[in-house]
Amino acid sequence: MNIVVLVKQVPDTYSERKLSDADSTLDRDSADAVLDEINEKAVEQALQIKEAGEGEVTVVCVGPDRATDAIRKALSMGADKAVHVCDDALHGSDVLATAKVIAAAIGKGDAPDLVLAGNEATDGGGGAIPAILSELLGLPQLTHAREVSIEGQTVKATRETDEGLTYLEANLPAIVSVAEKINEPRYPSFKGIMAAKKKPVDTFTVADLGVDAGEVGLGNAWSAVTEAAPKPPRAAGQKAEDEGDGGTKIAEYLVTQKLI
Amino acid sequence: MNAITNFQESEERIALRHAVADFVKGYGPEYYLEKARAKQNTEELWSAAGKLGYLGVNVAEEYGGGGGGIGDLAAVLEELAAGGCPQLMMVVSPAICATIIGRFGTDEQKSDWLPGFADGTFSMAFGITEPDAGSNSHKLRTIAKKDGDDYLLTGQKVFISCVDAADAVLIVGRMSDEATGKLRPALFAVPTDAPGFTATRIEMDMVMADSQFQLFLDDVRLPKKALIGEGSAALAALFAGLNPERIMAASLAIGSARLALDKAVEYANNRKVWDVPIGTHQALAHPLAERKIEMELAKLMTQKAAALYDAGDDMGAGEAANMAKYAAAEMNVKTVESAVQTLGGNGLTVEYGLGAMLASSRLARIAPISREMVLNFVSEHTLGLPKSY
Repeated sequence: MNIVVLVKQVPDTYSERKLSDADSTLDRDSADAVLDEINEKAVEQALQIKEAGEGEVTVVCVGPDRATDAIRKALSMGADKAVHVCDDALHGSDVLATAKVIAAAIGKGDAPDLVLAGNEATDGGGGAIPAILSELLGLPQLTHAREVSIEGQTVKATRETDEGLTYLEANLPAIVSVAEKINEPRYPSFKGIMAAKKKPVDTFTVADLGVDAGEVGLGNAWSAVTEAAPKPPRAAGQKAEDEGDGGTKIAEYLVTQKLI
Repeated sequence: MNAITNFQESEERIALRHAVADFVKGYGPEYYLEKARAKQNTEELWSAAGKLGYLGVNVAEEYGGGGGGIGDLAAVLEELAAGGCPQLMMVVSPAICATIIGRFGTDEQKSDWLPGFADGTFSMAFGITEPDAGSNSHKLRTIAKKDGDDYLLTGQKVFISCVDAADAVLIVGRMSDEATGKLRPALFAVPTDAPGFTATRIEMDMVMADSQFQLFLDDVRLPKKALIGEGSAALAALFAGLNPERIMAASLAIGSARLALDKAVEYANNRKVWDVPIGTHQALAHPLAERKIEMELAKLMTQKAAALYDAGDDMGAGEAANMAKYAAAEMNVKTVESAVQTLGGNGLTVEYGLGAMLASSRLARIAPISREMVLNFVSEHTLGLPKSY
């Protein structure tokens, strides 16, 4: 089974994240860069599927030079090899261009049986890549998966929504985008860390992939971020002194908020 | 000439640090202190870290270990301590005992024990200190006698760490040399369930999840296989384990100090009095800056000691490991002190967890070797001053 996992390096959600003043793209120097947690979960899922049967896990990443750290993390978790698309021309690319590049990068290897992705990245939050990719590759897509299993030539997924659970299935090959609750990703073992350096990483430019440079980058994006403002700090909470009637005061507050 | 070419740790070492730091976040200081206050071990953490290979990074690959060095193991311990979960057992089991067995054990001893060290499923405490002899291996009164093919071991030990969580204790005793009849050091792996072996907990006034024990050995019968390092090799085996012990003690102290300094810096940045963070005031900022400098210096010396040891330079590592242990221990005591002072009253509350570090931060000053013994070593061996005792 040939499994491809899309991974992205994002600014650490625990650090202060900013857009650059010049062009409102991500200011990559302002925060520590990490493998997005939702991608760790996608990698974990791929590894679980591989370990339950057999197969090979390839991670595909579009990002600058230092995205090799995120790739290395996925390889140290146990992925077998990686494809890294690294090209300054990609700076500021929108989801359409990014998905085209990813589709071309996937096309460089053997046809995948399963493509796993996170629902959405914690930085851009567009959440559109898996769907666009499914269109470009002509593959069925199962979204918001909190459980995934492979049965023969079928992939089954459980989607959780506010209303309940939906049970989905599709024929392979397919794309599955996973949600927060899918699993707890493993930590890289020491052996995994030592092995990661020896695993193959193929690096491509946009030209290597046969993608037209006029289709990528900030200047060719179909949408633009015009402005960003940090969320206002949360207002201070309401304090109630407990004079033996703390419980009553909390209940009264919850009633005013129509919560009970 | 580039005698020293690289002050950066390898990519793999840095990735290992990140992995362990992420891993320990799942436990944190709260988990550790809760266990410590309930007088319980942190066995869940130990077992999970073992499965990931973090506890056996220094064990040879052919026995299931990571094939790394003491520098890697020290990085793991420093990160665990910095994440609030110091593991004293790492100082004794993988660092001392697995090193000694890996370097001086027979093939049978290695294949019996090293795989367990590699994944943390087998732990060995280390027992040298005695009430009368301290840690002077030539004055130990724990004596082994030959009895047919077996040995009978009798004596007592004090301040032996982690015996309750250990499968065996590597006991340093003495045995008479067959040729000369003189007593000389000998090392025995003694199972903690061996008849005649008893361990009594010493109540300590420190908030630590690891305990201290007094050991009594009363004609403990041991098979030939329990002896590690034949004849004169025993002394070399013992010394092979002591440098890793100091490097690990230094790393534990550095990790703990990082935790204290992190708490102090966060507090000094957030706590506002008269509209500015208290860290604005140099009286608070400068001590923290001093501690950071001392910490980096201690860490650098610890890394040097580990690099020398891993390169096979036991002699060179000896001096560096002593100096690193000394520097890290002194720095840790001062860092906890500065951190408590930064937090004022909060520095002594349960909520901030710094008060609990006040006593335990003294540990590295006293063990595995006291600061005074390190100063004796440097006076005599490094500076060439007269021997003082």
